[in-house]
Amino acid sequence: MNKLKLNYTSLSFLPILVCIPLGYQLVNNIHFGGFKLFQEFLISAFNPKIDNEIIITVIKRLNETILIGFFSWLVSIIFGAIFGIISSNIFYKIFNIPNFFYRIIRFFLTIIRSIHEVVWGIILMQIYGINFSIGIIAICIPYIAVNSKVFAEQLETIDYKSFESINQINAPKFSSLLTLIWNPIINTFKNFGLYRLECSIRSTVILGLFGIGGIGTSIFLSFQTLNFRELWTYLWSLAILIILSGLIFKKIKFNTTNKILSIFFIAVFFITILFSFSYFLYFIFNNNFENFNSVSSLFKSSSDLGLFDFLKLILETIILTLLSTGIAISLPPLVIGIFNNNSSKIFIKSFAFLLRLIPTPVILLTLLTFNNPSLSLAALTLGLHNAGITSKLLFTNLDSQDKRNYIAMKSLGISKKTSWLLGLFSQQAKSYLAYCAYRSDIIIRETAIVGVIGSVGLGWQLQESLSSFAWQEVTLVLIAYSSIAIVGELINGKIKNSLT
Amino acid sequence: MNNTVFELENISYKYKNDLILNKINLKINSGEKIALLGKSGSGKTTLISVLNGTIRPTQGKVKLFNESFEELDRKQKSKITTIWQDLRLIEDLSAEQNVNCGLLAENNFYFAFKNLLNISSFKKAHKYMKLCRLHNSIYDKKIRKLSGGQKQRVAIARSLIQESNILLADEPFNNLDPKLITTIKNLLLENVDKNKTKKSPKTALVALHRLDLLKDFDKVIGIRDGKIFFNIKRNNLKKIHLEKIY
Ligand SMILES: Nc1ncnc2c1ncn2[C@@H]1O[C@H](COP(=O)(O)OP(=O)(O)OP(=O)(O)O)[C@@H](O)[C@H]1O
Ligand SMILES: [Mg+2]
Repeated sequence: MNKLKLNYTSLSFLPILVCIPLGYQLVNNIHFGGFKLFQEFLISAFNPKIDNEIIITVIKRLNETILIGFFSWLVSIIFGAIFGIISSNIFYKIFNIPNFFYRIIRFFLTIIRSIHEVVWGIILMQIYGINFSIGIIAICIPYIAVNSKVFAEQLETIDYKSFESINQINAPKFSSLLTLIWNPIINTFKNFGLYRLECSIRSTVILGLFGIGGIGTSIFLSFQTLNFRELWTYLWSLAILIILSGLIFKKIKFNTTNKILSIFFIAVFFITILFSFSYFLYFIFNNNFENFNSVSSLFKSSSDLGLFDFLKLILETIILTLLSTGIAISLPPLVIGIFNNNSSKIFIKSFAFLLRLIPTPVILLTLLTFNNPSLSLAALTLGLHNAGITSKLLFTNLDSQDKRNYIAMKSLGISKKTSWLLGLFSQQAKSYLAYCAYRSDIIIRETAIVGVIGSVGLGWQLQESLSSFAWQEVTLVLIAYSSIAIVGELINGKIKNSLT
Repeated sequence: MNNTVFELENISYKYKNDLILNKINLKINSGEKIALLGKSGSGKTTLISVLNGTIRPTQGKVKLFNESFEELDRKQKSKITTIWQDLRLIEDLSAEQNVNCGLLAENNFYFAFKNLLNISSFKKAHKYMKLCRLHNSIYDKKIRKLSGGQKQRVAIARSLIQESNILLADEPFNNLDPKLITTIKNLLLENVDKNKTKKSPKTALVALHRLDLLKDFDKVIGIRDGKIFFNIKRNNLKKIHLEKIY
């Protein structure tokens, strides 16, 4: 009897079952009228518009994107490090502060993190109007909280014994703290800095779709006017930007033995902090609120949103998360396993690159050309985009893995696919699943973006409530978002713990 | 004439249900060189951790210079230097940076900062590393790239640079060859006259496994199952004492 055994490998493939209900709804919703548009969209990828005029626009728009992306990255990584330090165990041990504060700060950061930058952006835009710096602020708020978690996690790896020995020397507390956290902080910056920069740029683009400016705005406008050739010019230039920033980041050497470089980094560090603070003060005291008159309006506005509707929206958001996570987990190993040869590999890699490159709202809008809006379509979009991300990780890990088992199995005459599965993938499955658990935290937050455009779940409700200035509803939706994200994070924390 | 440095009154340390230190009474006077003997797991490391304040005893009182340990300020506590059995160096920092960590207590935050940026002076660190027979070529190497004996000597140099007259050392001769052991032993036990006006003799408590090294110590303490079995002059040490604790 062939019984399906539940192990890490099979668990990586099982979630593909979400495709059954998903496919059913998608097939029912298909309309063929838009296929031509879709075709045009695909063909334009190989034929982007290139002339003087568009190049000037691209440069101008990219500059804005770089500016917003770079500054929000810089500010969020520096403040992320600072908040990471004050939300790490070691800080409380050195200064002998009760753990109570530690919990409060962590909880506060979790809440801020649970709300996607697009949501922050939409809210801030509604309050302050569309404004260049809103983009930076909207990205910085959740990013500081996300980065602080990354830093805090790395700081937890500090050996308790080296803490004891430094403590025994009885140095001034700040000296001890700095000496202990120095390397974990620098290593975190080296390992995650580039990735976070890429994230900042992507977020800037997505916020651009909502009107903040930069290349995202151009992408959105060219899509609305169905100018696909122009659209691809923007997309490809974005690709070049992301690839270039990666190359430059890898070239910069962050070694602290070079005095001039060290002084430069420290200057950047302090100037950023000073600048952020002064800007923050300026922002608070110098802005006239457009539509947000007072805090009391939070409680005045009446809500048409019944409890039942509200629960339905929450449920939709959860289902959306589960479906897209299923795709993001299972699609990459399935596709990589089935098409296991060198030429397909290149094809899959470039396709995954495109899925990462094209902002989710654009993927969704493209799919909308031949499918009616539905929960499944939003889930497919989010799933595909995230599959692009998980497959990159899977490829990196598979490529760097020891291939002796795989080669030995193949030489025993076992089929190529089976050897791949048992000899290569099975050893990765556990860490792959752990990463996917982490990814699903992010997917929960991203449901907001596709929700706004694909009219499902809380994201859509948020948009509705905001445009009618029903602040009470907005608050409700935000609380719901936070709760889902926090519960999700708790569950994923448990899953991750059992996987590592 | 003899000033008391450490005084332990009825110290017990309990971890879960195990009594690791059991009612220890001990007085260590200034200038005494004490060897701490006891088989593996007898509580030597725990005793040293109690003495330097890393572990708070479950019961009893630790006094340093006749004052309760908790009431002492940072500066006074920093007069003790410890060489740990497991070294406790910071693996990602270089050897010289680790040695400089010994100077953190007497310097301000700016020094710590410069040390991490590698722009502080390493003159003093190099001096002590040289004394420990560490070669130039390892000064700026990361700890994780050093050999066992080199790491051991970096930890010793970090302790020596504190120029402290109260030394707690937990098996400091691990990983060292015979010639190095003699050098290091002399370094550890020799007096440090940092401020030449008020010369205080060096007080040392060294946990040991090697009985052939006892001859430079003037007292021997034997510990077993967390209890002090004997605390005698080295000259009075007999075979029967050792049989009790091993
Ligand atoms: N962190 C700890 N948690 C629990 N028990 C501990 C801990 N450290 C030590 N012990 C226990 O306390 C007892 C004494 O340990 P200690 O390290 O003081 O022995 P030791 O004399 O230094 O041994 P060795 O010569 O092997 O270093 C041992 O039984 C040990 O298992
Ligand atoms: Mg020990």
